[in-house]
Parts: sequence; structure tokens; C-alpha cells
Amino acid sequence: MTDFYLIVKNMTRKPLRLFLTCFAIFIAFLIFGAVTTLKGALDSGIDLAADDRLVVVNRINFTNPLPISYYRKVAAMEGVRNVTHMNWFGGYYQDPTQQLVTMAVEPESYLRVYDEVVIEPEQRSAWLQDRQGALIGEKLAKIHGWKIGDRIPISSSIFSHRDGGHTWDFVVSGIFTGENEQYDTGYLVFHYKYFMETQTFGGDTIGWLTLTTEDPSLNEAVAKRIDESFANSQYETDTSTEKAFNKAFIEQIGNIGLIIFGVVFMAFFTILVVVGNTMALAIRERTGEIAVLKTLGFSSARIFRMVLSESLLVALIGGLAGLAAAWFLIEGAKAAMARFLPNLVMGGDTVLQAIGFMLLLGLITGLLPAINALRLNIVTAFNRG
Amino acid sequence: MGSLFSQIATVTVMNVRSLPRRLWMSLAMVLASAVVVAILLAFLAMARGFERTMDGAGSEGTAILMREGAASEINSVISREQVNLVEASPGIARDAEGPLVSPELYVIVDGIKKSTDSEANIALRGLNARGMAMRENMQLLEGRLFTPGTNEMIVGAGVLREFDGFAVGDEVRFGKNVWRVVGVFSTSGSAFESELWADVKVIQSLYDRGSSVQTVRAKLENPGDLAPLEKTIEQEPRLNLEVQTEQAYFAGQGKQLQYMAIFGRVISFVMALGALAGALNTMYTSVADRAREIATLRALGFSSFSAFCGTLAEALVLAIAGGLLGSLAAFLFFDGLNASTFGGSFTQVVFRFEMSPDLLLQGAWLALVIGFVSGFFPAWRAARLPVIVAFRNAA
Repeated sequence: MTDFYLIVKNMTRKPLRLFLTCFAIFIAFLIFGAVTTLKGALDSGIDLAADDRLVVVNRINFTNPLPISYYRKVAAMEGVRNVTHMNWFGGYYQDPTQQLVTMAVEPESYLRVYDEVVIEPEQRSAWLQDRQGALIGEKLAKIHGWKIGDRIPISSSIFSHRDGGHTWDFVVSGIFTGENEQYDTGYLVFHYKYFMETQTFGGDTIGWLTLTTEDPSLNEAVAKRIDESFANSQYETDTSTEKAFNKAFIEQIGNIGLIIFGVVFMAFFTILVVVGNTMALAIRERTGEIAVLKTLGFSSARIFRMVLSESLLVALIGGLAGLAAAWFLIEGAKAAMARFLPNLVMGGDTVLQAIGFMLLLGLITGLLPAINALRLNIVTAFNRG
Repeated sequence: MGSLFSQIATVTVMNVRSLPRRLWMSLAMVLASAVVVAILLAFLAMARGFERTMDGAGSEGTAILMREGAASEINSVISREQVNLVEASPGIARDAEGPLVSPELYVIVDGIKKSTDSEANIALRGLNARGMAMRENMQLLEGRLFTPGTNEMIVGAGVLREFDGFAVGDEVRFGKNVWRVVGVFSTSGSAFESELWADVKVIQSLYDRGSSVQTVRAKLENPGDLAPLEKTIEQEPRLNLEVQTEQAYFAGQGKQLQYMAIFGRVISFVMALGALAGALNTMYTSVADRAREIATLRALGFSSFSAFCGTLAEALVLAIAGGLLGSLAAFLFFDGLNASTFGGSFTQVVFRFEMSPDLLLQGAWLALVIGFVSGFFPAWRAARLPVIVAFRNAA
């Protein structure tokens, strides 16, 4: 009769209680896994932003335009390697409530600045030559089933087409992928010139500039140089790293995110407390039996190990099952959520964190009864029983 | 033996009075039920607060006109010519000075948010005295209104709460333009309180908007009656506009945090399953703990139904105590909590969590369901337990 056999027998003596306890732990870790992954996906824009890329926006706010002349001016500045300009198009495909990330860009410099965009050379040259051409991300192509050569009507909730209406026809010139898997390819870019020729207002303005510097160490100096050279003009600028810009943008979603995650984590810990209480109690009930084991010659250390193993086992069974369920849930939701949350992937750190909490739960709930068992005086135990 | 009713009462009182014996398990159940209720309420209060802020902004008596296809104010553009055409339309209320129409601009500017110390979008709305008069619940809390034609602005109470540097007398710089804050206004907590208001003409010239505006608001002759305006738009090809009541517009925008309520319901449902497991454990322990008592009562002639009711009542008492605790905690922590997020027009909307009685009622129902389910099965076991077995097990 091994110790393991005894542990399992002890654990399963009340199958219903074991099941209920494991189930509660299962739920707790299901929620932990799903919510942590969700939070990670929301924050991923910050982590993925390149270090050596700067964003130049209108000082008033990034939704206000800049004159196109800034593109040449910034390109000529010291320390700037590549620069491109972009306009937010406010695009959607058929359903106005489903935003499609669409930007009008200067094509050649765009591909230079965003060098993580991977595209076949022939598709690249096809796009550069076709003014009506659009470059779409692999993810977007998959969602809508678009192929190279397709004509796709994209509407804008901001701009009007010169010929009336708000819909532009693009030809899919190429489908790009990302240098790594995390790169979000759920967007579309098209020619700025085509945009300017076909829209009814706006003149020669651009939304913002994105640039790479010769070296990340120059970032601050370059940002300062740009902002200073446009100070006191009609269009003052605000230059920051892409990372800082994305972070500020995500923070705008606001403290509601913080509140939600705070609430959910509090709940997670409370469930653990509730469950831990049951688990500890389940072992305390057996004081008499432990005394018997001791009488039979089981060493205190051995009993200590057995009690602790039991609670660790319960925590791990429920917890790992919950984490696995969270993983399946996320994999299932991935396709449906790809549009809003491109980086819905359960990270290794989430798994490690969860396992850490499981071990903690097992240790805390097992330790006290185990220590009691260790110290248990056989005579008092029998008297009590 | 007394009636069935007095039997049930006796058993219930006995169970409840023996609760301290199972203190830790009972507390665990209370806690589990409290957490689930608190979570549900937190999410619902958030969605409700946001919706209330949006709904409160819209008036049934005001029409809002935007360029067709522009889902929100920020996307719309309307020319001076179009404004003139709208002003001439029937269906709009008039006074001695002409039609009650307010052409408005909507520029997004940066402010520093107190909570994160980072830049966030605020709406700077350009409007005139008629526009301000159209917001019936608008009240000046401090200072005075801006003087038309100057770089003066008034700030919403929500902006003052959530952002730095907008106190009366402060100078605020947006780009190279300097504005002076001369007053603080409130609109009874509605979305307009998250905005800065200044003279429309000044904004037009400072931000290169020429004579164009973004939206036109018009006081309707008959509240809710858009038909005359719709007819004007239909007959005039130069008016590529859409008209809706301001109430409908903001109600649409208020739906935005609806997903929060859905998310909250899903999370609290899943959590409730976990809590149920904990509560069932508690109740089974309680039944095991009282096995000898139950057997004694049954031997004395108490019916098994009274044993059933006693256990069920115990579960309900614990769950309701938890529900109350959870509601109280949610009320203390979340009611009136300041929050802000992106609104439909890409700007910050400042709102407060709102814990209304009907939400508390939903929380109470949830606690009752947890209590009932977690009590029912153990109570069933208590009632079915053969007396002999109970005595033997408890010995």
C-alpha cells in the first residue's frame, strides 16, 4: 500500500465533496485564465509597438490634421531614417457598426517604415503601380474571404466620394502577413493619392506621420527637434514613441478596464478562500484517523507529506482543468473576436501565474492541517475523538 | 405534536441557532454568495450609469441633423448653405429673433486625465447662446458664460472632476491657441458635462473650419415630430442630411457599454456556478453535522418534510445574508464611482456608476436562487435519511 494509494483514498472518501471542491476551483481558474488573457490582448498594442518608431500628431489632438508639407520637412531632418504619412479613413464593409481599420498611406515609405509587414515582391510592385489597389492583411482576407484581384467596396463614415455616396472601390493588390505571429494583420492600407483625388473635402492634409530614427537612442532628440521646429505655427506637433502613443490611447478606454479586472480578481481570490476553507476543514475532520496512522507507526514527516500532497492534488486537478477549459474557450472565441482583439492568445506567463496560484492554494489550505497533524499528540487526539 | 407549520418553525430555529457550530463553513457560504452578487451589481451599475449619462443628454424636443452616414457628431460636416436651408424648414420652433437653430462644431482636444496622468480626448464644442438655451437642464455652477467672439470657454462639471487644469480662471493651451476658463456648468449629470463649450465662430476661425459646422440642432415645433424636417430634406437635393431626435441619437450611443452588462451577467453566472459548488459543500456539511439531531427529531415524530424545510431555510438565510452583504459592499464601493471612457464620438464621457433599486433586486434574486439550489439537494438528503442510518453514522 503506497502513500499515493492512501492519498487518493482519502481524497475520494466523499466523492461529492471532492467534485464540488474541484468544480469551484475549476470555475475560479477558468475565469482567471479567460480574463487574464483578455486583459493581455487589450494591452498587447503597447508591447508590440516598435521602440525606434515615433508618431507625430497634431498638438491639439491626434484627430486633428497636419499639413502634407510636414512630410517633406520631417524627412529632411537629422536623425530621421524613414518617414511616412497616414490618414484615418473611418472605413467599414457593408455594416457601419463593424469598423474596419483602413488607412490612406504613402505606399513606398509606408512599407519602409513598417518593415515587419511581409509581402511577396510581385504583389508589392502590383500595389505600387495600381492607384486603386489596396493592401490587406491576411487576417482581414480570411475574415471576409477576399482574394487577390477582388474588387471590394469599402465605405467611410467620415468622407464622401466625389461621385456621390461614401463608398470606394478598391482592388486587392496584395495580402500581407506579419514578420511574427503576434503582428496584427487585421487592417487595410491604400494609396493616399487616390484618396485625395476622390474625396470631396480635406485638401492636402494628413492625419499623422510615423517615422523611424537612425537609432533608438536618438528618439528623444529627434522628437524634440520636430516639435520645436513646428512650435508657434498654425499646426504645432506632438511627437512620441509609438509605444507611448498606443499606451495613452489604450488608457483612454479608461479606468473602467481597471475596475473590471479589479473586481474579477477580487472574486477569484474570494472563491479560493471559500474553497480553501472547505479543503482545510475536510482534513481537520480526520484528526482521529491521523492519530491512528501515527499509532500504526507512520512517521510525522510522512503524514505531513501526505496531507500536503492531498490538498495540492485537489488544487491542481481543479485548477488545471479550469485553465484548460479557458484555453479551449479562447481558442473557440478567437475567430469571432479576431476583429476586436487580434492578440487573443493565452500567454505562458498567464499559465505560470495560474499554476503559481494553484500551488499557493494547495499549500495554504494543506499547510495548517498538515502542521497540526505533524504536532498531533496521539493521546489528546483519541481523547478528543 | 403541533401542526406541520410549527414543526417547520421549530426545526428552522434549531438549525439557525446551531449555525455558530459550523461557523467557518457558514461564513464561506455567505462570502461566496456575497461575491457573486457584488460582481453582478458592479457590472450592471456601470452599464446603467453610462446609459443614464447618455440618455439624460438627449431631448425629445430637439432634432439633431448630421451628414448622412456619419454615425456620430465628430464625423459629420454641414456647410453654411445647408444650415440656411435647414433654418428655412417648417417644423422648427421660432421666436422673435427667428428659428431656434444651433449650428455646432465639435473639435477634439487633449486634456490630462487625473487618474492616469496621461492625455485623453475631450470634446470642445462650439455653439451659441441659442444652443445653450436648447439644453434645458443646463445650469451655471460657477463663474459666468463665455463672451461671444472671445477666447473664453466654460467647462462641464465632469471635465473638472476627471481632468487637471480646467478650474475657473485657468488658461488652457490647445496647440498654439490659449483659452480662458470663465465658468463651470452642469447638465444634471448628462454627457454634455464631459465637454468644453466655447463660441462657435471663434472655433471656426481658430481651427480653419471656414463657415462649416458639424451638426445642427433645431428646437422642434412639436416635440418628437420630425416629419416636416424629413420632408424638407427629401425635397432638397442639397441637403444630404439625416435627422433624428437628440434623444434617439444619445440612446443609440448609450448602448455602447451594453456589452458590459452582458459580460457582467456571463461572468457572474459562471461565478455563481462556482459559488454554488461552495454553498452545496456547506449545506452537505451542515446536514452531516446535524445527522443525529435530524434523526432524533424524526424519531420524536417530526415529519421528514419539516427536516427538509429546516435545511432549505438555513441555506436561504445564509445566501440572503451573503446577498445583503454583497449588495452593501457593491453599494459602498461602486455607487457614484467616477469613471470615464470613450464615448461614441471618440471623446471621453465622464459618468458615475449607478446602483438603482431594480439592480439591487436582481442581486437579491441571484442570492435567492443560490440559496434555493444549494439548500434543496442537501435538504432532500436530510429528509430521506433513514433514522437508523443517521444514528449509526452520527455515533
